[in-house]
Amino acid sequence: MKSPTSAAPGSLLTQAAGEGRTGALVVGGPPGGTLYLVDGRVTYAESAAAPGVGELLTASGRLAPRTWQAALDTATSQARVGRVLLEQGHITQGELELCVLGATYDAAYFALAPAAAPVNFLDGAAHWLGDVVRVDAAAVVRESRRRARLLDDIFPNVRIDTAAVTPVPRPPRERITVTAAQWELLVHADGQRTPADLALLLGRAGYATVQELRRLAALGLIESPGERVAGTEPAFARVPRARASAPQSTVASPATVPDGPTVPIVTRARPGLASGDPPREAEPGPAHRPPRLARRKPGAKLPKELISQPAPPHPGTDEVLLKRIRTALRALR
Amino acid sequence: MPGVEHCLQEAMAIPGAVGASIVDYTTGFPVATTGAAPNEDHEAAAAGTADVVQAAQSRSLFVSAVPHDLLEDLIITTAGGYHLLRLVRTDFDSRLVLYVWLDRVRGNLAVARRRMERLADELIST
Repeated sequence: MKSPTSAAPGSLLTQAAGEGRTGALVVGGPPGGTLYLVDGRVTYAESAAAPGVGELLTASGRLAPRTWQAALDTATSQARVGRVLLEQGHITQGELELCVLGATYDAAYFALAPAAAPVNFLDGAAHWLGDVVRVDAAAVVRESRRRARLLDDIFPNVRIDTAAVTPVPRPPRERITVTAAQWELLVHADGQRTPADLALLLGRAGYATVQELRRLAALGLIESPGERVAGTEPAFARVPRARASAPQSTVASPATVPDGPTVPIVTRARPGLASGDPPREAEPGPAHRPPRLARRKPGAKLPKELISQPAPPHPGTDEVLLKRIRTALRALR
Repeated sequence: MPGVEHCLQEAMAIPGAVGASIVDYTTGFPVATTGAAPNEDHEAAAAGTADVVQAAQSRSLFVSAVPHDLLEDLIITTAGGYHLLRLVRTDFDSRLVLYVWLDRVRGNLAVARRRMERLADELIST
């Protein structure tokens, strides 16, 4: 084992493949990744930016998480998880091969993307998935480069691939058309999640996610990172109320807090009967919020009108939080 | 159990087949290939295949408004041959298409289409 050297991951992969080596080429991040070689041919690759075989199979519901976990528990030590899944009839040979091939090229793209990165070769290291497919290292390197070019043909901004995704508050034209995959991304983009987070959450290939995001950026439907300078947002920009799974974006949220109070602050016990005040409901501002109450003494009861009102529906952040926790727990398993 | 190689072998057994491949149509990458390709270039053929599938899937009149009325196959005929594209729908996220190139004289379009339908199904189900 050598100490990490900074080099072009692609050329080191070609070199290791040329020598017919067996082991793991570990590329430092971010996002980084690892390519596993057997006799100079690539058997698997993984990267933090690309969902692995386990995430793809469980996120889509193809395998129950416990089935996957059981296979990991049984076969990780012998590095034959893939074989065990096949032998137990959980998945077909075709599915496994296609899934591994897809995940390998996907992760390889991210691992080989940097022009220079700390790279280390671990001799003899094998992946727990085992030997499912073997692909030519030269083909992997060539395909990774081609994929990078494809992205730049769509929209040349590499920062989109890693920056948190923020949908634009208002589309740049009257009528927009998005594909199902783009819709899914827009609905789940909350200004916090990065493309890698979205790929893992949705169980979609990392490259395909980045590709759709570049298309969305070209359409002007997501913010191009680095483009917007803080404080330049128009003050009148109103963000629609949070949908169930896409809470308000953080970039736009300061704009929703105007200078004066737009929500009437009730100082009397009976709201709505404050005859002197003009009705202010028509003013722009957060719509469905119940009127803010005047400060009460500790232990004082709420006004009757308010007690009888049902609790306002929760905007749905809980669901997002739960989904995130579930994803995080899955990742731990 | 049939794997990718087996699937392509079976595709080549379709009467009149001269070439077959499985293509990732988001990237235009040939995941697996066998036999001949138009202009003897599997990669160029895959890129072209991807363009055709994307056009049919994302644009205009082929996009059905009826839920679950998804694209199944695309058939392109030339004076010398048939090009059949069958979408492979895996449960996990992938965008794959099975492509078979048939000789026009020896190939039978209906037979080939049925065989490809079965092959694509067998590839992903037990």
